[in-house]
Amino acid sequence: MSATLAAATCALLGTTAMTPVDAQEEPKWDFNTSLLYYGEDENRVQDLSLKSIIRRLFADDRTLTLGLTVDSLTGATPSGAIRQDVPQSFTRPSGSGSYIVPAGELPLDDTFKDTRLAITAGWQQPTGEKGLLSAGFSASKEYDYLHTGVNASYAHDFNNRNTTVSAGFAFAKDSIESVGGAPIPLTSMLDVGDISNRVGDQDKDVLDVVFGVSQVISKNLLVQGNYSFSQADGYLNNPYKVLSLVDGVTGDTLPRIPGNEGGPSGVFLFESRPDERTQHSLYTQAKYYMNGKVLDASYRYMTDDWEIDSHTLDVRYRWPIGGSSYIEPHVRYYTQTEAEFYRLSLDDSAPLPQFASSDYRLGNFDAITAGLKYGWKTRNENDMSIRVEWYTQSGTVPAGQLIGNQASRDNYPDLNALIVQFSYRFLR
Amino acid sequence: MGVQPWEREILAREDMQLTTDPLEAATDDHIYFSKEASSGGRGFGGGGCGCN
Amino acid sequence: MGSPCEVLTDGGDKQLAGRVSLLVAEEAWRIEDKFSRYLDGNIIHRINTSQGDPVEVDAETGHLLDFAATLFDISAGGFDITSGVLRAAWVFDGTDNIPAQADIDNILGRVGWQHVTWADLRLTMQPGMEVDLGGIGKEYAVDRCMAMARSATNVPAMINFGGDLAVTGPPVTREAWKVGIEGPGVDAAGKRVALRQGALATSGDARRFLLHDGVRYSHILDPRTGWSVPDAPSSITVAADTCTQAGMMSTLAMLRGTEAEQFLAAQALLHWCRR
Repeated sequence: MSATLAAATCALLGTTAMTPVDAQEEPKWDFNTSLLYYGEDENRVQDLSLKSIIRRLFADDRTLTLGLTVDSLTGATPSGAIRQDVPQSFTRPSGSGSYIVPAGELPLDDTFKDTRLAITAGWQQPTGEKGLLSAGFSASKEYDYLHTGVNASYAHDFNNRNTTVSAGFAFAKDSIESVGGAPIPLTSMLDVGDISNRVGDQDKDVLDVVFGVSQVISKNLLVQGNYSFSQADGYLNNPYKVLSLVDGVTGDTLPRIPGNEGGPSGVFLFESRPDERTQHSLYTQAKYYMNGKVLDASYRYMTDDWEIDSHTLDVRYRWPIGGSSYIEPHVRYYTQTEAEFYRLSLDDSAPLPQFASSDYRLGNFDAITAGLKYGWKTRNENDMSIRVEWYTQSGTVPAGQLIGNQASRDNYPDLNALIVQFSYRFLR
Repeated sequence: MGVQPWEREILAREDMQLTTDPLEAATDDHIYFSKEASSGGRGFGGGGCGCN
Repeated sequence: MGSPCEVLTDGGDKQLAGRVSLLVAEEAWRIEDKFSRYLDGNIIHRINTSQGDPVEVDAETGHLLDFAATLFDISAGGFDITSGVLRAAWVFDGTDNIPAQADIDNILGRVGWQHVTWADLRLTMQPGMEVDLGGIGKEYAVDRCMAMARSATNVPAMINFGGDLAVTGPPVTREAWKVGIEGPGVDAAGKRVALRQGALATSGDARRFLLHDGVRYSHILDPRTGWSVPDAPSSITVAADTCTQAGMMSTLAMLRGTEAEQFLAAQALLHWCRR
């Protein structure tokens, strides 16, 4: 019947051949799921993370996006205390036990074990011919942390849709529910069972504002530039990080006699960060297509009122293999200067500063990520990919901060991590 | 600067979108948020966790 | 065409869009003027008032009548351009006002392409019979306009006459033309179709029916019985190479009533059937 109808239609329209129809029902659901393994060497942080982003497309280009992440974290993390030539003991953050770090080793707090559940929900819809409005909500819960946030943004197309200008904000209200209570900054780590310097839950507010422009330059070049501003207020300390209080001449930690139930073998003061932080960042990205290959390069400059400056350069190159797979090498270089209150340790012979932290993440370091991703289409047109990346950090303590014996020790906790992520995407 | 609407064939490709893989981008934002002092830039900063 | 008509061009400037729209509008009006059964003096009016005399027709009308004859054959009499007179008995206004068998029998004597003599561009019909190309006209117009748009510009265009539509080719600013198919109440979103080439046509109108003793009488009439096709879907949308094929396939499927889905499945065409 189709053939007869086709022939009759050809005769009616006076044509001899017709271009075959190419129509497809649009999938309404877009499921993205990945399993991530993140593992640092020397038994530091290990994370197994399952992440899903589900997108539902409605009429008139309105979309609902739901995200779910479950993280299972274990491992040890640097406590902030310095290495010593003798074994050191510490009270656990809960205040209900202690642990020992052998002589010469970097003090790691191995009680780190958490499950994190995070959800996001976003709604996006066009407004008028050229506008796109987005609004979203996010929440996450860990044993000792609760995050809730809202965000909204608007993007408008100009110039024959060659220019898109956007503005958005995100506001988060987080609550820090530290194990054993948040310690009062710059007070000492106390003996097991003594919680006299602990206070209740703390909170912080973070406001992010982003202004962006993306511009089509040519048929195969697209660039983007963003300015973002972030203002954090409230409790910005890491409640588990300490600094060693050291002798002004030897640089060794001041000894202390632990209590009967156990406790610290030296004087360790809980860190103290300002209760305010303002960050500015500029982000630029370019996507360039050349003969089937796509170069994705971005650069970010960040500066804040803690005097941290950072530069991030990220380059990805997607290289197709045959019609349905690709490999994508990825290199990222990151460098940051230390916060003005970064201290390897606190000098007992000088007055205590108002702010101090030995958190390696506030120090001066470089980081390199190198990785390779392989992606392919399955027989039923679903997308799969696997990427393997190595992340390495190496930092230096400013020479002026090294006191006595510290100069001969390896003070900065370098980090090496392996990232393996397997992703699966299908449309329905 | 810019292209005519009928010259957008390449720009419309999935691999030419600014965020090609939203899962990977979210994962990276989260990893680097928890290991470095800077976050965000591309969009809103990672955040929302006690890891920093 | 009794429905909104639109032309979308993907790219090009206002001038080009205006030029293509004008071409399309002129062609649509030409076809409407020539084949509408509501207008006096056109070829359809001449045929319908011929009182049994033979009528000479032009080539274009001839092609349409040939096409109608083929449709009549392949549908075993289900598709019949002479069935329009049945509308005198059936008024689809949502009421329970179904006609009496006697009224239908009265009209049925004036229905049937088999009673028409058609050859060599000459048509002879019994007095009282009427032809109506309304079942073909809109889809035909879309395809004709499509050809005109294609010859006028390389800029991709979509021509949409009240839901019967065709595209000259894939758009360039995005991966496909997105067409929404109205869904049933619960799912307001409906389905979306990505169309890169070809056409979509829809038969059926959920608002045109009669309800009697709990039975829903669709506005699809079977010219062989004079009765509404029992259990016809409320709408059928078909994707095909041309709008004419898509429209005819959806109409032929409608005539199958209960078996509409089976029929469509056998045609290996992308389709959406809503009951």
